[in-house]
Amino acid sequence: MNEPLTVHVKAGEKKRKRTGLSKYLYLLPAALLIVGVIGYPIVRALILSLYAYNPLNSGKTFVGLKNYVGVLSDSTFLKAMSNTAIWVVGCVFFQVVFGLLGAVLLNQNFRGRGVIRGLTLIPWATPSVLAAMMWMWILDGNYGLLNDILMRIGLIVHPIPWISQTGTAMASLMLIDVWQGIPYFAVMLLAAMQTIPGDLLEAAKLDGAGAWKAFWKVVFPLMLPTLMITTILRIVWTASYMDLMMVVTQGGPAYSTLTIPLASYYRAYTDLKYGEATAMAGIQALLLLIVVVLYLRLMSNKGALDNGK
Amino acid sequence: MQAKTIAKRFIGKSKTLLSLLTVASLLAACSTATEEGSSAGPSENAKKTVVNYWYWLDDASNNTMEQLIQKFNESHADIEVVGRMIPFSDYQQMLINSVSTNDPPDVARFKDWWIGQFAESHLLEKLDDYASKWEYKNDIDDVFWNTGRTADPNSPIYMMPHQFITFYLYYRKDLFEQANLKPPTTFDEFLHAAKTLTDPSKQQYGFAYRGGSGGQDQWYAFMLAGGARMVDENGSVVINNAKAVEVNQWYIDLFKKHKVTPPTAVSDGFAQLTAGFQAGTTAMMAHHVGSYETLHKALGDKLGVVPMPQADPSHPATMGTMTGNVMFQSSKNKEAAWEFLSWLSSPEATDMLSQSTNGQLPVLNTLTSKPEYTSKNDGWKISIESLKFAHVWPPFKGVGTIAGHTWKDNNDLALFGKITSKEMLDQIAKTLLE
Repeated sequence: MNEPLTVHVKAGEKKRKRTGLSKYLYLLPAALLIVGVIGYPIVRALILSLYAYNPLNSGKTFVGLKNYVGVLSDSTFLKAMSNTAIWVVGCVFFQVVFGLLGAVLLNQNFRGRGVIRGLTLIPWATPSVLAAMMWMWILDGNYGLLNDILMRIGLIVHPIPWISQTGTAMASLMLIDVWQGIPYFAVMLLAAMQTIPGDLLEAAKLDGAGAWKAFWKVVFPLMLPTLMITTILRIVWTASYMDLMMVVTQGGPAYSTLTIPLASYYRAYTDLKYGEATAMAGIQALLLLIVVVLYLRLMSNKGALDNGK
Repeated sequence: MQAKTIAKRFIGKSKTLLSLLTVASLLAACSTATEEGSSAGPSENAKKTVVNYWYWLDDASNNTMEQLIQKFNESHADIEVVGRMIPFSDYQQMLINSVSTNDPPDVARFKDWWIGQFAESHLLEKLDDYASKWEYKNDIDDVFWNTGRTADPNSPIYMMPHQFITFYLYYRKDLFEQANLKPPTTFDEFLHAAKTLTDPSKQQYGFAYRGGSGGQDQWYAFMLAGGARMVDENGSVVINNAKAVEVNQWYIDLFKKHKVTPPTAVSDGFAQLTAGFQAGTTAMMAHHVGSYETLHKALGDKLGVVPMPQADPSHPATMGTMTGNVMFQSSKNKEAAWEFLSWLSSPEATDMLSQSTNGQLPVLNTLTSKPEYTSKNDGWKISIESLKFAHVWPPFKGVGTIAGHTWKDNNDLALFGKITSKEMLDQIAKTLLE
C-alpha cells in the first residue's frame, strides 16, 4: 500500500516542480524584452555618467562621481530642477482636477454624448510639436488670439507677451500641457466610472446618499486605483516631456522654462558632454523614483490599492 | 484507453510537427523572398559605388537637392548617391549620433559653425589634394575656401564652399516715406529711424529684434557693423574687449532702454520676425537673401533693401555664413564621394540650387558675375555688394555651442538686466575657446 502512495506523492511533486519552472519560462520572453529595452540602456547610462565623454571623440575618461558633483553645483541645473518640480506639480494637478470634472460631465446622459466624447480626445491626439506651434501663435504677444479676446472683453489694455516674460512663460507652457493632458485623465477616469456597478449606486441612494455623497463615498474610492496609476504615469511623462520648451521657448527667457530633460539635451548635443548629460538624467530618474515610491506608499496607506482588488 | 491515448499523443505531436513545419516553410519562404528581392538590387548595384549624402533644406517644400541627386545618378553609371533629407533642427544632433555610433554618411551638407568641433576630432577628410586638381578651384576666391578651414593658421580645407549669405537690412518703404525718413546707413540714423517709427499705442516698432532661436547671426551682424570683432589679426579672442562691450550694450539697449523693438523680442524667431515685418508691426529687419522672395511676394514695392548700417561707414562689416559640403574621413568610397561633392559645386549644379527657393549666393565667380545674379533683385544686388566686407563666425570649437544655446541664454539675461554686457561677452569668449 505504501509504495503506490510514495509514487503518487513523488509524481505530484514532479508535476508541481514542472509547473513552477514553466511559469518562469512563460515570463522569460517578457523579462528578456524588459531587460533588453529598459534594463540595458539604464545600466549603460549609469556607466556613461561616470565618464567624461565627447561623442565626437572616441576616448572616454573615467571621472567617478565628478559629473554628479559638477552638475549639482551648477546654478543653471539647480534652476532646472526647481522649474521641473513646478512644471510637474502644476501640470499634473490641473490635469487631475479638470480631468475628473470632465469624466463626471462625460458620464452624464445627454444628446451627442458619443460625438463629444470623441472630440474631447483631439488635444490628446494632436502631435506635441503641432500643438506647440499652434499655441505659440495663440499666445503670441503681437497677434495672438488670447490677447485679442482679452482686449476685446476689456480685461487687458495692452497685449501681454506671454511667452517672452519670465513671469508668464512657464505658466503659458503649463496651460498648453494641461490642455493636452485633460482628455487623457478624463477618458481614463470615465472608463473607471463605467465599471462601477449600478446597483452600488442604487444601494447608496436607498441608504439616503445624495449625488455628492454617492460620488465621494462610492464612485471616487472605486476610481482611486485608476486615478493613482494614471497620475503616476502622467508624473513620469510630464517630467520627461521637453517638446514644448524646445519649440516654444528653448528654455528661456532667462532659464525660466529650462527643465532637466532640456538642460540634459543641451549638455549632450550642443556642449557635447554626454557624461554630464547622463548624470543629469540619472538625477532626474532618482528623483522620480522617490516621488513615485512616496506616492505609492501614501496611496496604499489610504487603501487605494486594495480597492482595485 | 491505451489506443485513445496513443491517438491523442499522435495528434498532439502531429499538431506540433505541423506547426513547426509551417513556421519552417514560412521562414524558408521569407529567406527565399529576401534573396530574390535583394538579388535584383545587389547584382545591379554591384557595379555601383554607393555614396550616402545627408542634407537639409531651408524650404522643404522644394526639394531641389533630390532633383540634383537624380541628375547626378543619371549621369554617373558607376555611382549611386543615396540622399537623406533631415530637418535643420535635428541635423547637428543626427550627425553627432551617427559619429558616436560609427555610422556617419560619406558626404554631408555642413555649416561653417561646426567645422571646429568636427575637424578637431579628426572626423573630416582633408580636401586640399582633391581640390587642387578640381577644374573650378580658381573660380572660387580664397576668402571662401578659408571658410572651410579651422582656426589653425596651417589648417587644411575641410569643407567645400557652396552657398553663402550676407546680412543686410530690410526696411518698409511705405512707413519710412510716411515718416519722411531715409533708409539708414549709420548706427545713429538707424537708432533715429527706429525711435521715430516706434509707437506702442499703434503696436508699431522700429526694429524686429531676433532674441529667439537663430538670433545669434543677427546679433553678430550688428556687432561686426559696430566695429567689434570676434578674433583679432593674431587669432586672439577679442569679443569681450571694451569696443565689443560698447557695441553689445548699444544692441541690448534697443530693447532695454530705447524700447524700439516689440516686447516679444526676447523670444521672437524667424517666423515672428517675418510676420511682424509683413504686417507693419516692425519697420526694419536684418536678414539675408533667403527671405527676399517671401517678403517681396507679400510686400511688393513696399520692400526696401540696404546694406547693414555701420557705426563707422569707412570700415564696413557684416556677417556672412557659408554652407558647404564635407566628406567624412570614415568614408570607404572617397573617390566616388569626391566625385559627387565636386559635382555639387560645379556651375551647373550650383546654378540649379541657387535659382531655386533654397537658393543662396553662389561662390563661383562665373555665376556671381552673370547679370541674372547681379541684377536679379535688390536682395541679390546688396548681398553681392556686401561680400567684400562679410566676416564669418571664427572656426573655433565653441561656435556650435554658442549657436546652440550660450548666446540665447546670456542675451536673455542681459536683456532683463540680470547680467551686464561685459558678463555676457565674457561667457561667449569663454565658450568660444572651450
